[in-house]
Amino acid sequence: MLTPYGLDIIESCLACKMRAEHIFCDLPPAALQTFESVKYATAYPKGAVLFVEGQTPRGIFVLCKGRVKLSICSTDGKTLILKIAEPGEVLGLSATVSGKPYELTAETVDPCQVNFVKREDFLRFLKEHADACLRVAEQLSEKYNTACREIRSLGLSHSAAEKLAKLLLEWSAKNGEAAKAEPRVKLALTHEEIAQMIGTSRETVTRLFADLKRRQIVQAKGSTLLIRNKAALKALAITQ
Amino acid sequence: MESMIQSSCLTCDFRPDRLFCDMPAESLRTFDEIKSLTAYPRSTVLFAEGRPVRGIYILCDGRAKLSICSDTGKRLTLRIAGPGEVLGLGAALSNTPYEVTAELLDHSQVVFVRRKDLLKFLREHREACLQIVRMLSQDLHGAYERVRTIGMIRTRRPRIMFRPRALLV
Repeated sequence: MLTPYGLDIIESCLACKMRAEHIFCDLPPAALQTFESVKYATAYPKGAVLFVEGQTPRGIFVLCKGRVKLSICSTDGKTLILKIAEPGEVLGLSATVSGKPYELTAETVDPCQVNFVKREDFLRFLKEHADACLRVAEQLSEKYNTACREIRSLGLSHSAAEKLAKLLLEWSAKNGEAAKAEPRVKLALTHEEIAQMIGTSRETVTRLFADLKRRQIVQAKGSTLLIRNKAALKALAITQ
Repeated sequence: MESMIQSSCLTCDFRPDRLFCDMPAESLRTFDEIKSLTAYPRSTVLFAEGRPVRGIYILCDGRAKLSICSDTGKRLTLRIAGPGEVLGLGAALSNTPYEVTAELLDHSQVVFVRRKDLLKFLREHREACLQIVRMLSQDLHGAYERVRTIGMIRTRRPRIMFRPRALLV
């Protein structure tokens, strides 16, 4: 069977196997049935823009497969990446609920499956299903948590080295690598994008990586980074 | 204390103006049973960043400063919360440690609701739950706005020069 962008599209939420792992999707049967009737399953190629900061909210996007880059833009065109959203995350949620313009730009990093729900349908859905409402509150809380962490990192870190070290440690704590003495980090982003995540220039990120390699704190193998000296990286991550 | 203690939510005069408090009569009665009201002096710390979550706090009057802290103890004020605002909501719903520190700027009356009671209340009262979702969205908007202003001041010159002095504690 031919599939768009090589994705195996999950047509029905009722038959989705990944549902149990995702906070929002794991709804009681009645709510799920309603959700199923209001959502549109869509597929996007890599590099597609789901919504742009400042746009009037059309609705929410539930990320089923693939990853999406969430960024904020300043008036002079500088970009700051807030996070890379993973499957199960609901995008455009707070704008859809409050009716204010989208506050972020969402761009796909891989080919993605996204379930779209129109704003009016979603608001009605929330009114009717209290469980879903609580799930949405949980999702919003998590996003608030991330935003606070970002503010802390941007507002209270001094050097780019410190911010990069923090970012690498955060990534190394994922995918069950946390307990290992020499965790591996899969670098999914370019130096330019990493620079946008920590609010610095591409040149600085390249220089910092060269420096970390020279000091044997990290070792690069293709796009995988092996953290050789976790203690040294942790020391770098502490605010001077 | 500058103002009268308003012991019951049912007779509170401010209620219609407050986003969260203005709920249907039946919900309000339940809420009145699970809340506890305390008057605190100025500079009381309601909750501190990183501490395990106990519940939510609602400011009946007075203001509270919400700030975050670096490992070395440097502080950054996020915003000043005013009367009617619900504090610690994000942490209570996701059951994660408090993400900010809340310190009272005035003598204040504060309502406290335990996390467990809150969750049960929200499950049973749809209107209140929707209101909470709306408030969280607003908190998030505010936080993103802060990311935008802080993140865009880049590192060419020391960042400290750009930051209003009032925000550095």
